Amino acid sequence: MPLYILGPAVVLGIGLIVLLTHLLGFSRAYAFVDEEDARVRWLREWPGDEVREVVLAADRRAALVSTPSGPGVVWALGADTVAKRLTRAEVRRLADGLRIDLPDFTARHLRLRLDRTEAAAWAHRIAGIST
Amino acid sequence: MTYPDVVQYAVPLFVVLVLAELIYIRLTGEGGRYETRDALTSLVMGAGNVISGILFAGVTLGFFFWLWQFRFFDLGHAWYVVVIAFILDDLRYYWVHRLGHRVRWVWASHVNHHSSQHYNLTTALRQTWTGIFTFMIVLSAPMILLGFHPYMILFVGGLNLVYQFWIHTEAIVKLPRWFEAVMNTPSHHRVHHGRNARYLDANYAGVFIIWDKWFGTYVPELEADAPDYGLVHNLGTFNPIRIAFHEWVAIARDMMKPGLSWRQRLNYALKPPGWSHDNSRNPSEVIKAKYVEMNPDVRGTPGFEGY
Repeated sequence: MPLYILGPAVVLGIGLIVLLTHLLGFSRAYAFVDEEDARVRWLREWPGDEVREVVLAADRRAALVSTPSGPGVVWALGADTVAKRLTRAEVRRLADGLRIDLPDFTARHLRLRLDRTEAAAWAHRIAGIST
Repeated sequence: MTYPDVVQYAVPLFVVLVLAELIYIRLTGEGGRYETRDALTSLVMGAGNVISGILFAGVTLGFFFWLWQFRFFDLGHAWYVVVIAFILDDLRYYWVHRLGHRVRWVWASHVNHHSSQHYNLTTALRQTWTGIFTFMIVLSAPMILLGFHPYMILFVGGLNLVYQFWIHTEAIVKLPRWFEAVMNTPSHHRVHHGRNARYLDANYAGVFIIWDKWFGTYVPELEADAPDYGLVHNLGTFNPIRIAFHEWVAIARDMMKPGLSWRQRLNYALKPPGWSHDNSRNPSEVIKAKYVEMNPDVRGTPGFEGY
């Protein structure tokens, strides 16, 4: 098949599928039901961990997890979740939450939407758990 | 003799089937899950795979035709030769795929295919951009030296890829027993994409599931242990470039760690994913062993034989 046909066909196909996926309502981000849900989602990636404490963000898109190996964050990525330990992470306060820089090529800058009080508490807890 | 590029001709079919699956899931509320950004990522990676194939076609063809001059036989182009080539190429695929999960250097290319936490027809298109760098084309050498024409090998390889498209679905639960016994099916391949401890390193088949049964890597899909899709540690991005290259970057970082011996540096590229010089990470055998330790009742069940 000539490229001048294949190229536009691929672009058109991708556009059509993505548009329809969105219009059919499949763009909603995951929202944690409660702290227990966040704990289960953490253990899904770190089975056997002892989860000592879970702090759920007010918007239910992320949770801070405390384990004997240090703090971790589990957050919504599309309709699913990702859980990362905060080993060697750098935390910075932003106007609308926190920015966490991780030594992870697939999750270098994690931006968490937290209100001012939440952000302060999370930053404090991360520092507390890490030390 | 020329052969059609079946993958390119199948593109419209791919689009139609994805749309059909999407609408089926929306209407019935079952048969799988879709997520817009996940689907977009998979589709862009599929397009990137086609571009990568075109860019490196010269390398592949050059290697194949260089080998062709040293062939022992010329098996011609009869239909039954094509059939035999299709079967032997699927055996080749099995081993390339198995190495793709057991050698980190090859896994670095293949990992992106497993990086979605969804399992639908778009996941089938989430293909590698870096396959050429794994040097796995050398596994085609025996067939070329035996006398299967390079163009025939590319043709049957394309057929193999097209076959594997439709098995990336949750919309089909099980197929007739005789079919499940011989062919790779959605059920068998769901197991392969499962990140459950039970399903790690299982069902490498492309078209015929018999290879897994013969070589001891077959694990059936169990109702009591529904596949959970994705990687042992999932990726925190939908960026196709990061997905395509993340494991190569991770290998480079590991190999450049200070204080390692040359053997340890090499092991970071050649040992199975999850290997580490200080045992700080868990390869699949350790994940399985720990799971059995936490759940002793699964000991000896499919996927946990020998644990």
